[in-house]
Amino acid sequence: MSEHRFTLRLGDKRYPAQLAETPDPPRVLYGIGDPSALVEGLGVVGARRATPYGLRCTRLFAGWAAGHGISIISGAAIGCDREAHLAALDAGGDTLAVLGCGPDVDYPRRSAPLLAELRRCHVVISECPFGQQPTRWSFVRRNRIIAGLARAVLVVEAGLPSGTFSTADAALDAGRDVLAVPGSVFSPESRGSNRLIRQGAMPITDVGELAQYLGLEGATPAAGDVAADDTLRALVADPMRPDDLARALGIDIVHTARTLGALEAAGHVVRYADGRYGVR
Amino acid sequence: MQATVATTTLTGVEAIAVEVQADVSPGLPVFGIVGLADTAVQEARDRVRAALRSVGFDFPNARVIVNLAPAPLRKHGTGFDLPIALAVLAATGQVPRAALDDVTAVGELGLDGSVREIPGMLAHAISAVRADRDLLGPFSAGRVVGVVPQLRYRGIESLGRMKGGLPATASPKASRVQTPAVPVLDVADIAGHESAKRGLEIAAAGRHNLLLVGPPGSGKSMLARALCGLLPPLTEAESLESALVHSVAGLDPRQCLDGIRPFRAPHHSCSVAGLVGGGTPPRPGEMSLAHNGVLFLDELPEFGPASLQALRQPIEEGVITLVRAHGAVRYPARITLAAAMNPCPCGYAGDPQRECRCTDGAVSRYSARVGGPLYDRMDLTLRIDRVDPALIIDDAPVKPMSETVRGRIATAHAFAGIRRPSSMRSQLQPDARALLEDAARHANLSGRAVTRVVRVARTIADLEQSVPIVVSHVAEALGYRSWDTA
Repeated sequence: MSEHRFTLRLGDKRYPAQLAETPDPPRVLYGIGDPSALVEGLGVVGARRATPYGLRCTRLFAGWAAGHGISIISGAAIGCDREAHLAALDAGGDTLAVLGCGPDVDYPRRSAPLLAELRRCHVVISECPFGQQPTRWSFVRRNRIIAGLARAVLVVEAGLPSGTFSTADAALDAGRDVLAVPGSVFSPESRGSNRLIRQGAMPITDVGELAQYLGLEGATPAAGDVAADDTLRALVADPMRPDDLARALGIDIVHTARTLGALEAAGHVVRYADGRYGVR
Repeated sequence: MQATVATTTLTGVEAIAVEVQADVSPGLPVFGIVGLADTAVQEARDRVRAALRSVGFDFPNARVIVNLAPAPLRKHGTGFDLPIALAVLAATGQVPRAALDDVTAVGELGLDGSVREIPGMLAHAISAVRADRDLLGPFSAGRVVGVVPQLRYRGIESLGRMKGGLPATASPKASRVQTPAVPVLDVADIAGHESAKRGLEIAAAGRHNLLLVGPPGSGKSMLARALCGLLPPLTEAESLESALVHSVAGLDPRQCLDGIRPFRAPHHSCSVAGLVGGGTPPRPGEMSLAHNGVLFLDELPEFGPASLQALRQPIEEGVITLVRAHGAVRYPARITLAAAMNPCPCGYAGDPQRECRCTDGAVSRYSARVGGPLYDRMDLTLRIDRVDPALIIDDAPVKPMSETVRGRIATAHAFAGIRRPSSMRSQLQPDARALLEDAARHANLSGRAVTRVVRVARTIADLEQSVPIVVSHVAEALGYRSWDTA
């Protein structure tokens, strides 16, 4: 087998030190890949049913951090997790996945190509032995490993209720910072991350703030150009359905449909799975 | 003694000529029917014998053999009763043979000699006109066959009527039905759903296939019914075509004859044969019954996979060809397909008020039941969401009155008819073309998808009576294209 399997016991020299000092460290870690890649990093977690906004934030922050030498730690789930890993890979940075099943099991199946890539060039770990299938509770347990390995956990998008909260709780238990990306007050998909901020999580509103937190230099704030178009300006704050947009802007539906069609074709707006339009 | 009577039998929506030959010869009394007759035709022997006696004719106490020619063709149904009885009467001299020379006869007999209607009277009538023959059949069918131009129809209530020779030809007026069975819904009665109504308008103007996606109770079925009301009434030729299919299927064709577009909404437990036609003898399916009208498939993913995939080819071609061991049967099926589905098995994905509880895999499996090729054939995909209750209660927007919308659609139809039928590509303005190319590359549209986007854009331009297809037309058309959920 070309992949490199390893097993680390609590107390081994190569067992990640930052994980060992958490209140409830796993006694054994099973992994595939390069065990030396188990360095302290930035945990990036978010909803599986992510909106384009969530994915875009994930790509921005995870990609930037990975490009500046911070390893991105996530769970390889669909949605924000997967986007975080991909952004890190695209930025040429390091990333590692913590699974809720055996590290050789492809779950979720849609992440199989990503997991294969991570096992080959990076590292995939789990506290479940090789071959173990996922269970419902193993993911909640898995979240404390993500938090334990990370210096801080960045919540990019979370609704209510959300499994992401268990990662945030684990991060607090382990004494890690929780960072959160705020979203629209109208967006149900951001309700959870907004609540985290109210509860004391550090809001991350641009790359500069993340850089400052991580103690890095040279960050250019994201160029947030003011949208020239009324439609874009309306959608940037709050993704809307065409009917609502037409009512909000006081224009007829035909005009709205045409504007949205043109903006979508030009790549300025995207259609959400639920029929709303949002700024890309 | 021998005699021959002409009749017709159905294959598809056509009635083809069959000769009924009777031979009455001395010998042991037998009554046999030969010529690939099915059970219903074989049973004609008992009906004919009883009917002749009860109206006072004699059934010959001799060897009676009836042959249905051409012999290799399979004969189905009870329409042969009347011609068989007439052939026997002519062969025994009880009815003058010459009287039946120019007559095609169809009809079922009761034991009391009454002449009853059979399915497909319109097809028989059209065939009689083509062959320039009189049609002799049940009196009650006169109100339906009366719409066939140039038909000479001789209707009889009872076989006993033949004692006085052939009845006179009549051109009966087709009776009209006033109330449509499916109450046509007016778009003006629908609150909210502004973009969906615009989608309906385009679908109606260009006869585009339509997919409505939305949570339960959001109004998908209501909108589909409203689509039917937006379509202009059937033209003379269309109404005859649609009526013909109904007639062949044994349904009342009078609504179609009144110009009311068929609206068929089969349940999702419908079999493949029920949907596209089939069975022995072949019968038109729901798709053909919706010919020139709307076929509404509610809960699209719940239909059997075989039924769904069977839709694909007829949607493109407008005709269904059923190939059977004894030949091919064709049924028309030029339909506007309106389909509705929930976004996920629980139905609430993307609903702002209720949370969806489906796993990701369940959602993709659900949507995969419909399959890419069928999604590809949907010109307009509209997301339908629940309307704010306040809007429904206030019932405020009466803005796009259905009359106005119908007017626009009729104008678009007329405009599409008179604009020069040059190629769509030459009507595409350069910037519209560039936008389409960009979008196609961006969204990975198939060749068929691009063609369909152009067709929708053409319809949008027609609604504005514009010959060139400009960039805003294409932009709007692209917005109705189904989005990729990958």
